[in-house]
Amino acid sequence: MSNIEMPLVLFSVLSQTAIGLTIMNSGRQIAGDDFIGEGRRQWGIVLAFLVTGMVASFFHLGHPLQAYTALKHLSTAWLSWELLGVSIFLCLALFGFFTEKEKKSGLVAFLTALVGLLTLVFMGMTYAPPGYPALNNALPMVFFLLTALLLGTSFSAWFTPSEDRSWLCRILTVSLIVGLVVYLIVPCIWLSGGTVMAQTAEAWIESPLYWGRIVIGLVLPLLLIWKIKDIPPWLPLIILIGELLGRAAFFQETVHAASNIGGL
Amino acid sequence: MKKHYGFFIDAERCIGCFTCAMACKNQYHQPETVVWRQVYPISEEIYPYHERAFYSLACNHCENPTCLNVCPVKAYYKREDGIVVHEQDKCIGCGNCIRSCPYGAPRYNPEQKKAEKCSLCWQRVDAGLKPQCVQSCPVEALQIVDLATFDRPDTVQYPPGFPKHEKLNPSVRFVVPQLPKVIGREDI
Repeated sequence: MSNIEMPLVLFSVLSQTAIGLTIMNSGRQIAGDDFIGEGRRQWGIVLAFLVTGMVASFFHLGHPLQAYTALKHLSTAWLSWELLGVSIFLCLALFGFFTEKEKKSGLVAFLTALVGLLTLVFMGMTYAPPGYPALNNALPMVFFLLTALLLGTSFSAWFTPSEDRSWLCRILTVSLIVGLVVYLIVPCIWLSGGTVMAQTAEAWIESPLYWGRIVIGLVLPLLLIWKIKDIPPWLPLIILIGELLGRAAFFQETVHAASNIGGL
Repeated sequence: MKKHYGFFIDAERCIGCFTCAMACKNQYHQPETVVWRQVYPISEEIYPYHERAFYSLACNHCENPTCLNVCPVKAYYKREDGIVVHEQDKCIGCGNCIRSCPYGAPRYNPEQKKAEKCSLCWQRVDAGLKPQCVQSCPVEALQIVDLATFDRPDTVQYPPGFPKHEKLNPSVRFVVPQLPKVIGREDI
């Protein structure tokens, strides 16, 4: 998209981290996992990611004080739905944080996760515009779901005792392999598409951001998990850096259709 | 019958003089980096001749405009005559329309921190005048037409080099440039 759009990079990755973490939290509560005492801290981390991302998103707007007016066009604008989803998610996370006591609020976590999942869909639709032929499909949604899965799983390790992390390790390993396959295959498919899609593929393949995402965000964590057989507390941060690099490539390297007007 | 305004671009006539783009600038005085009308050279793969051919393009005032659909603050509206108007006072500068339009029509104004685009000079049209770009074209390669009654069989909506988005249905028609006939000995 010819501009690194750092506020959008931070907003999308951090809000998807918050959503992924909430989905994992909800899943664990439904599965009957007992992690009493960690619930409030987990809501706190979810809020920290979400609020940081939302604050960053204001810097993307030309007139941030009028951001609330972006809720006006729910009939056709996915961006309005994205804002609505993130706002409801924030309210539910705040409610979860302030009401979390000794007893788990499983319903709140489930509702928050559900709203989060819907918000991921809205985000996927928002960033799939006709102006970018390579992304005018379900790929942004797939990328965002992968981000939520990778970061949600890895940050969940912060709230899980080391003796119970083996299943988290398995989920994260599978997610990393799926992510690696998706991110390696997608540019190859684009190469066989139209001119702008092929230009996007070439831009991604030549981009240090893309390869940084592959190596730092996917290959290195896979090797570390294989070697350590655990998710050390610093590993989610490495994956987060990889995701940020990947999202920067998403915004900066994707080619706009208008750049090829007059060409085949 | 309701009017449905659109641009008619005769690439056979266009000489790529940029007068249309300059006339637009003179009319609206956009900042240096903001261009509402652009003259795009057609690549040699499409027009393989040493003289170049061009498409003069601005907003296509699509029948189903993506800028209007994706704008979260309803800063766009479509008039009954088909002209898509951007209301800058409502714009919050999110850039969603800029990312979405496959024709690159909305541009970011860094001074106002808002998007903006060709208005088809609706004030001039309402006053019975032609849009400034149309008015200025020295070879009459650019015209405003009423697509509700426009019926020229030699025109196309999606010539080579112009992104095809049938869902958007851009209100624009083209005459594609013809290669000159090379007269050889066998033709005499």
